[in-house]
Amino acid sequence: MNKVFVVGFREFWETVKTRTFFFSVVLMPMLIMALVYGTQRIARLGENEQLPTRTLAVVDAAGSVLAPLAHRVESFNSASPNRPYAIKPIAPAEADEKKLAQQVSAGEYFAFILIPTDAVDGAAPCTVGRRDSSLDVGRQLQDMLNQAIVAVRFEGSDPPIDQTQVEMLQRRVPVRTIDVQSGNETTGDEFARTMTPFAFMFLMFMGAFGISQGLLTGLIEEKSSRIVEMLLSAVSPLQLMAGKIIGMASVGLVTLAVWAVVGYWGAQRGGAAHLVTIFRLSYAGMYFFPGFLLVAAMLAAIGAACNTLKDAQSLGFPINIMTIVPMVMWIHITQNPNSTLSLVLSFIPPITPFIMILRICADPNLPLWQIVATLVLLWLSVFAAVWAAARVFRIGVLMYGKPPSLLELLKWIRQS
Amino acid sequence: MSALELTRIVKRFGTFVAVDGLDLTVASGEVIGFLGPNGAGKTTTIRMVMSILHPDSGAISVLGHPDAAEVKDRIGYLPEERGLYRKMSVGATLQYFGHLKGLSGSELSRRADESLASVGLSEWKRKPVEALSKGMSQKLQFVAALIHRPEFVILDEPFSGLDPINTELLKRLFQELRQRGTTLIFSTHQMEHAERLCDRVVLINRGRKLLDGGVSEIRERFSTRIVLVEGEGDFRPLAALPGAADAEIAGGRARLRLTDGLEPHTVLQRAMETARVTRFEVQRPDLHDIFVRLVQEDSQARGLSVPASLAKPAPALPRGANVE
Repeated sequence: MNKVFVVGFREFWETVKTRTFFFSVVLMPMLIMALVYGTQRIARLGENEQLPTRTLAVVDAAGSVLAPLAHRVESFNSASPNRPYAIKPIAPAEADEKKLAQQVSAGEYFAFILIPTDAVDGAAPCTVGRRDSSLDVGRQLQDMLNQAIVAVRFEGSDPPIDQTQVEMLQRRVPVRTIDVQSGNETTGDEFARTMTPFAFMFLMFMGAFGISQGLLTGLIEEKSSRIVEMLLSAVSPLQLMAGKIIGMASVGLVTLAVWAVVGYWGAQRGGAAHLVTIFRLSYAGMYFFPGFLLVAAMLAAIGAACNTLKDAQSLGFPINIMTIVPMVMWIHITQNPNSTLSLVLSFIPPITPFIMILRICADPNLPLWQIVATLVLLWLSVFAAVWAAARVFRIGVLMYGKPPSLLELLKWIRQS
Repeated sequence: MSALELTRIVKRFGTFVAVDGLDLTVASGEVIGFLGPNGAGKTTTIRMVMSILHPDSGAISVLGHPDAAEVKDRIGYLPEERGLYRKMSVGATLQYFGHLKGLSGSELSRRADESLASVGLSEWKRKPVEALSKGMSQKLQFVAALIHRPEFVILDEPFSGLDPINTELLKRLFQELRQRGTTLIFSTHQMEHAERLCDRVVLINRGRKLLDGGVSEIRERFSTRIVLVEGEGDFRPLAALPGAADAEIAGGRARLRLTDGLEPHTVLQRAMETARVTRFEVQRPDLHDIFVRLVQEDSQARGLSVPASLAKPAPALPRGANVE
């Protein structure tokens, strides 16, 4: 047993020392945080910059829209003086869409707007020609055009309707959302709320697969540089495998613990305490550990059987395919945590932890039996995988040359 | 108690029989050369002794235990395929292997320093293994395998790839082990090492034992002695001696194979009667010649192809005897 820990400690220490580990522990969660909580902030980064005046060529065939549109542009400019628009009216007789398009692409105009004769009836669409791809600009141009034409409709209404009054009546009802568990106000963080289960799942996924990948490459290195047999003079193949898995599992636990502490602390300070809760963190831990062991055992077997990373990749292909499932399905699962599909996916062992953490984040009141049943299944498959991996390991670790096929692997498991 | 006992062990890989009913007993303190051409089953046998592989049938007893795993800390093993962690420092490598062999604390540090000093690597302690030259990492592998002062040492092809300096170093190491009373088995296909270093040699071919005995005993048994005489005078009467065979007599030179109890002494006496002898030499076969002949005869007798490494026809007479 002692030797298992000697092997495990080396594995742990040699991994923790590396730059890759530092980056995965420090940079990965920062990236995720930035993705989840920072996207909008990053998008708003350039807002205070002074932009040059952007000239819009406007062809008003309807005749009545130009004035109210100019009015909207003015009020927009006074609201955001650092990003002004200007209007350059063009007589409908001289207007040529192709020529305007050329002028816009040449940068002469920022964009052009064609308002057809029956635009006010809404019978024909207006045309907005742009070459930029900004979401905000698109929304602004459409809003201004829309408001201008709506204003024209109000003016022409018979009997006359007071636009201000209608707008008053239609004003939005303020809604304040709170998180029932923490009592925190959560207004406006729908995006972060939706993304949080994904963040949990993704970090667990990176932890389990990223770190086990290290186990696999380490093993292949030991095989190709002929260290394995030196080690086998002192430890049994089983001890070697157990030590490696324990060492890597410790790396995984340390990584996850760092992420959990940083995430929890960050959420407390960043006003997202209702998203990163002890409840979620403890479930993440509970599913991570067996999930990691399962992945590690499978990759250890593959690493022991192969001599090059390329062989390992092709042998590990079925596992890789499965791991895509939570990535592809996460939206469905977080939106429908109790659907039949979500339930079925929860009972496929290698992806169980990832599916379950998505479901638990999405619905804290998941039936207890499902949690117990998935955990039991997960642990049973851990024992089965470690048992099978040990058999593959014993034979594979000294095999050089052609890697075995999946069928041969099964034969190894049966015969030894 | 014997250090190692193998009883009719058999190991097959698919249909290929790598080890075919091998018996071997090694007494405690013996130094044994385990010889045979490539593919003879040496490594497979050693791996079974180390319980890295398990025999299909037969029994193994290592230091009185059926499974070497139980006594791994008392065995030093250097595999044929050997390497070390490239990124680990020299000192850390020894620490790691020492830990795995059950050493710890100041005892381990002291042994590690001593080991490095004994092979002149003390200054490299903090350097990574990848900074070492090939010869230096070979030395490190030896001391890593022996750091726990095992009572039973098994080395698989320890001489392969060594330069002459490291070869001498290894021989010195062997002497030290022998003085300490360590049981030592090493495999090799270079007979001159076995000849110089072993008490006993065991020759296997295609998984079977061909020969097992003391070096001088084997030589005696397979001695086909050749006598070479040079000088001025008439050597022709030598051909007529009873027991002289294959006589080649030309100029001032005669070469005879001695059979039927003909002694070199008799040849010399006879030669001195008719000539002034300037050179007299008794040539003995070395292990190499004996083994090449045995392996070839065995392979042919069993209808197997001769191992590629021995494919050239072996001299019918001992090496050096028929060089003109």
